[in-house]
Amino acid sequence: MSLYKFTKSNQMFQRATAVIPSGISGNKNPAFAVPGTFPYFAERGEGCRYWDVDGNEYIDFLCGYGPIILGHNHPAVDEAARKQQKQGSAFNHPTPRSVELAEKLVAMIPVADWVAIGRNGSDVTAYAVQVAREHTQRNKIIMARGAYHGSQAWCRHGIGGLIEADYEHVHQFTFNDATELEDLVKKHEGDVATIILTPYHHPAFGDQEMPAPGFMEEVRRICDEHGIVFIIDDVRAGFRLDMRGSNEYFGYKPDLICFCKGMANGYCVSAACGNREYKNAASRVFFTGTYYTNAVEIAASMACLDELEKTKAIDKMMRMGTMLQEGLRERAKANGIEVNVTGPPTLPFMTFAAETNFRRSQLFSGEAARRGVILHPHHNWFMMAAHEESDIRQTLEVADKCFSIVKKQFGD
Amino acid sequence: MIAGMLDTAGKLLKPPSLNDRILADMHLYAVLPRLEELVRFDEEAASLARELDMRLEFTVRGGGRVVLTFRDGAVHSSRTGGANVGLFFPSCNLLNRMFAGENVTPIPFKGLTRIGQLKKFTRLTEIMTEYLKPSSEAMEDPAFRAKHVEMSLMVGLAASGVVADLDPKAQRLVDVLHDATIQYSVLPDGPNAYVSISQGTIRAFSGTVPDPTTSIEIRDVDLAVGLIAGEVDTFAANGSGDIKASGDLAVADEFNGLFDRVGLYLK
Repeated sequence: MSLYKFTKSNQMFQRATAVIPSGISGNKNPAFAVPGTFPYFAERGEGCRYWDVDGNEYIDFLCGYGPIILGHNHPAVDEAARKQQKQGSAFNHPTPRSVELAEKLVAMIPVADWVAIGRNGSDVTAYAVQVAREHTQRNKIIMARGAYHGSQAWCRHGIGGLIEADYEHVHQFTFNDATELEDLVKKHEGDVATIILTPYHHPAFGDQEMPAPGFMEEVRRICDEHGIVFIIDDVRAGFRLDMRGSNEYFGYKPDLICFCKGMANGYCVSAACGNREYKNAASRVFFTGTYYTNAVEIAASMACLDELEKTKAIDKMMRMGTMLQEGLRERAKANGIEVNVTGPPTLPFMTFAAETNFRRSQLFSGEAARRGVILHPHHNWFMMAAHEESDIRQTLEVADKCFSIVKKQFGD
Repeated sequence: MIAGMLDTAGKLLKPPSLNDRILADMHLYAVLPRLEELVRFDEEAASLARELDMRLEFTVRGGGRVVLTFRDGAVHSSRTGGANVGLFFPSCNLLNRMFAGENVTPIPFKGLTRIGQLKKFTRLTEIMTEYLKPSSEAMEDPAFRAKHVEMSLMVGLAASGVVADLDPKAQRLVDVLHDATIQYSVLPDGPNAYVSISQGTIRAFSGTVPDPTTSIEIRDVDLAVGLIAGEVDTFAANGSGDIKASGDLAVADEFNGLFDRVGLYLK
C-alpha cells in the first residue's frame, strides 16, 4: 500500500499557527503525538473510522481521546440530538432533559444520590474537589503522581500561567502506595479535604497500572478514619468498564464520582455525582456555565447511555479489546519484540519493554498512522462499540508490519 | 566588565533578594563558564587565554562561588577547588550590576600580584558579551550567528539548572523531573549541546551525547536565533517540522518549563 501523506493537514496547520497559539492547543497539538506522521485535522467520521483533511481513512483507537464510545455519527444518538434541536437547546432555564439525565444516572450508579451536569471533565473534577473542600472545610487535595484530572489551575500540567497558590495545597503520592498516602495524610492531619484518584492509574507516557489488591480498600479506610472525601475521577474510563461506574468493576465505593468522556458519544456533557451526605455541600458550591443546561447535548447523553445499556456495548468492547491486546502480544512475539500491553481491554495501551524513552513507540505509531490505524504512542487507547472483528484483524495486520519496521530499526 | 568603584557599605549589607540571587548564580554558573567554549573558537579569546595562568575565584556574599582555571590556553570552571586570584562581591546585586555593564569593582582578596592578568580577563568577558549580546551587524555573518547560538544555548541550558535549584515556582517541575539526557542539535552541522538531569540537578555540556533520552533537532541556525530571542512558537514549530523532538517528550516538556523561565531573569 502507498503510505499516507499529510499535505493538507500541514497546510491547515500553517494557517492555524497564524491565528491560534501553538496552532492546535493542548493534547491535540502534534507535538504530543508524532509530528509529520500523524494527521493534524479531521474531516469526517463514520463508525470506528474517520477521514482526515487529506482524505486518508483511519481505524480509530483514540476515539477523540475517549468520547466516541459507540462510533462516529451514531444514528440513535444523533437522532436524539436532532429531535431536541428542533425544540431548541439554550434557554433561560434548564429543560426536563437535565432532570431526566440526573434521574437516569442516579438510578444507574450506586454511589449517586445526586448529579450535577457540566460540559467537560475539568468542570466536574474542579467542582468535586470544591464540594469536598466545602464539606470538610479543609484545604488539601491529594492525588496520584502522574495522574491527569483536567486543565483547571489546581491540577494543570506544568507551570505556565499558574501561580504557586494555585497548587500549594495539592500533594502527590505514588499510585498503589498506601503507606506513602497515609504518611501524607498524617503529615497534613486535619487539613486534607479529598483524595482524588482515577479508578485505575492511566498516566500519559507510561504503562497503565491496575489497583493493587487491597489498595483501594486502604484508601477507603484512610478516608473514613481521617474524615476525607474520596473522589474517583472516572472521566476517562467511565462507561467503558461498568455502567455503574468503574469503581464497581474493581469493587470499591468512593464518595463522589466524575464522568464525562463516555457518556454522550462526542456531545459535550459531564457529570459529578455523589452520595447524599455531600448533597448540601454540593448545593453551596456555585456551579454553572453558559452551556451547562443545553438540552441537545443532554438529550444525546440520554440516548448514548440507553444505547450502551441496550446493546451491552461494554461486553463487546471488552471482547474486541481483548482480541486487540492478545493479537498485539502475539504479533510482537512473532517479530521477536517484547511489549507491555497494559490496561483493561476497553482502554488498552502498549509500550516496548526494551525502552523507556518511547522511540520505538513513536516509530510504531507513526508507521501505523501512515497505514491507516491510530494507535497513540504516549496516551492510552480507547475501544468503541463500533469496532468489529474485521477492524481488529486489519489493525493487527498493520501492527505486524509496524513491528517488523521497529525490529529492523532497533533490533529488539 | 570589571571597572569603577564599589557601592556604599549600607547597600552591601542588604540581604539579597531571591531574584538577585538567582540572577547572580546564572552569571556565575551559566555565563562565566562559557569562556570554556569561547577560547576554543574565537582567535582573540584563544590568544588571550594562552597568556593567562591563574585560578580565578568569584565569591559572592549571600550567593555562590565559581573558580575559573586558565591553563595552557584552556578554561575550566568549577564550583570547588582552590584559587590564586580572588574577587569578592559584597552582594549578588553588585555582581549583577557588573554584568549589566555598570561601573562596579569587586574586592580583590587573593593573589594581588596576579591582578594584572585581570585586564586580559576583562577583555575575554568583553568578547564573550559580543557573542551573547551581538550587534545586528555582527549577526549578518552566518558563522557568527552559529557561535551566538552555541553560546546562548549553553547559557540557557546551564541557567535552567539555576532555575531548578532556586526558583520556587519551578519546584513543581523539578519534583517530577526524572533522570535523563536531552540532546539539542541545530541542523545540519550544529552547534550541539545537551543537558544531563540527575536527581534534580541539571548540568549543561557542549557537543553530543550517545543515546540521549530525548533528541531535539532545530531546523537551522536562523530558527535557533529566533528561539533564543523568544520569537518562535515552539509548539507550532514542532508541528510544522521546524523542530523535531523524539524520545521521552515528557521530560523534555518539563525541562522546557525550566528553560522558559531563564528569560525572566537573564535578559
